Amino acid sequence: MSDAPAKSRNLKSSIEMGVVALLVVVFMVVSLFAQFIVQDAGRHFHFTWGADPRKSIGIIIAAGLTLVMYSFLYRDNAFFKVAENLYVGVALGYTMIMACWRQALRPDVYETLFYAPTAAAFWNAALHRAMPILLGILLITRLSRKYGWLSRYSYAIMVGWGAGVTIPLTVNSFLFQQLYASVAPFQDAVAPHAAMTAFSGAWFMNIGLPVLGAVVVMVGTVAVLFYFFFSIEHKGAGGAVSWLGILFLMVAFGASFGYTVMGRISLLIGRINFLLNDWLRIST
Amino acid sequence: MSESSAASRGMTIARWVIYALVALTVVLPYFVVFPTLKYKVSPESAKLFDKVNSLKPGAHVMIAFDYDPASSAELDPMGRAILLHCFKKGLIPVVMTHWSSGLDNDRKILAETAARAQEDMKRQEPFVSGRDYVFLGFRPGYSNLVLNMGENLKGSFDKDFYGQPTAAMSALQGVSQLKDLDLVIDLAAGASVEVWIAFGSDRFHFPLGVGSVAVQAPNIYPYLQSGQVCGLLGGLRGAADYEQLVDANGAAMRSMWSQSLAHVLIIGLILFANARMLLARYRRTGKATG
Repeated sequence: MSDAPAKSRNLKSSIEMGVVALLVVVFMVVSLFAQFIVQDAGRHFHFTWGADPRKSIGIIIAAGLTLVMYSFLYRDNAFFKVAENLYVGVALGYTMIMACWRQALRPDVYETLFYAPTAAAFWNAALHRAMPILLGILLITRLSRKYGWLSRYSYAIMVGWGAGVTIPLTVNSFLFQQLYASVAPFQDAVAPHAAMTAFSGAWFMNIGLPVLGAVVVMVGTVAVLFYFFFSIEHKGAGGAVSWLGILFLMVAFGASFGYTVMGRISLLIGRINFLLNDWLRIST
Repeated sequence: MSESSAASRGMTIARWVIYALVALTVVLPYFVVFPTLKYKVSPESAKLFDKVNSLKPGAHVMIAFDYDPASSAELDPMGRAILLHCFKKGLIPVVMTHWSSGLDNDRKILAETAARAQEDMKRQEPFVSGRDYVFLGFRPGYSNLVLNMGENLKGSFDKDFYGQPTAAMSALQGVSQLKDLDLVIDLAAGASVEVWIAFGSDRFHFPLGVGSVAVQAPNIYPYLQSGQVCGLLGGLRGAADYEQLVDANGAAMRSMWSQSLAHVLIIGLILFANARMLLARYRRTGKATG
């Protein structure tokens, strides 16, 4: 009696394994036909490597990995785990080689120092690069318990320099410029030329609507900030402002959700495009 | 216990039904011929197009492909459409990236679009790297790189992706700093827009346009309103807008039926789920009072 669930699980597992094996065979056959089998004028099928067999093999691997990724929709499985780890590994390896070696260390350090055309060029390069190289090496000491403290010099420079450069620029761009944009419509509304054309069609479009927008932004900002202000109980007038804040938040979340749905569907479309056009070669 | 198990089973089936319906709506337009989908180009997309269109031949447009293949479904069509526009108008695209993992994809897009522009324009001569366009490639540094380019662009990229020195490159004549560029467009999948704004356009004063993945597009609107960004392409729809404006008939325009049908389905599912929830609540309250 107690063996029944175990038997049921075994049966389910066997069926799943069988289906997976069948799907792999179907995938290989379809890939072979789509990428390497062509039909001639006499309606005979021929095997051909094509113009670029490496590209075809790459497409088959990419299609297989795409389908394996979508297998997660059924449930988490070993193939998905392999593909997931492969993705992370390849991305990391590619980035290490491209970003660290080919685009940074090789041209800026290795080639400049070890392939310097003249002694003067070597000393010039060494002089300019000595400090960055030293600071970079000090960062690696982080791996050692004994000498890890040396990395603090590099971090101190990075944090100090970073804060010094970043704070004024980001405060200007994301605070002052935004504040100015929020009050600019009011400034335009009280300008002398605005009074001359007050309540005309052009005034409504150029002054009235932006002022209305600025008022909505201002009310929304205050209401949302008040919603997160917990020092006062949200009752009565405070409750109304807080409720308005929730409304603004919901509108913002809705817009964000709408764009997110569009983005996720776009990714699916991208994969379907790849599977139909590149893998199956169904011209659409 | 059995009721909860049945509910869970019901949810699982509903999940698979939703997957199947979404897949169906996306795949259907590839096999069924629908009438051409006409839609109005959004004002923020039109702004970017107008900005590029207002440039004179020989003007330099830097396009930062700040994404990797994971976002190529949305941003590749934008990159292709903008590059095609640049080539057809005689502008000089200067392409770079902050994302090393997208390098090969960027190179491919640039080469393919140059070939397509040559074909569309029935031009005998191919577009040549270093003369008609520049592919600077990748350099590490992110915000520091933008600051460096603001001071000395050719010093930041002393060679292009193909190893040609940039100092004497004819395509970069008259360009030594970021402010010498006529327009910079950031195709962004991450936080690079904020970097370009704070460390680039606000600091060195050059016009900045943005093409963004849909997920982060709502975050860009405040910069559009404040004038820190001169135009915005948001997601695949933004790419389709630009393709329509340059008459490119690219992947984004062809995908609009799939996108629209999927949106209708999701709206329908949201309404259905809410109606079901309200009905269940009504039944519960009915039982409690009755």
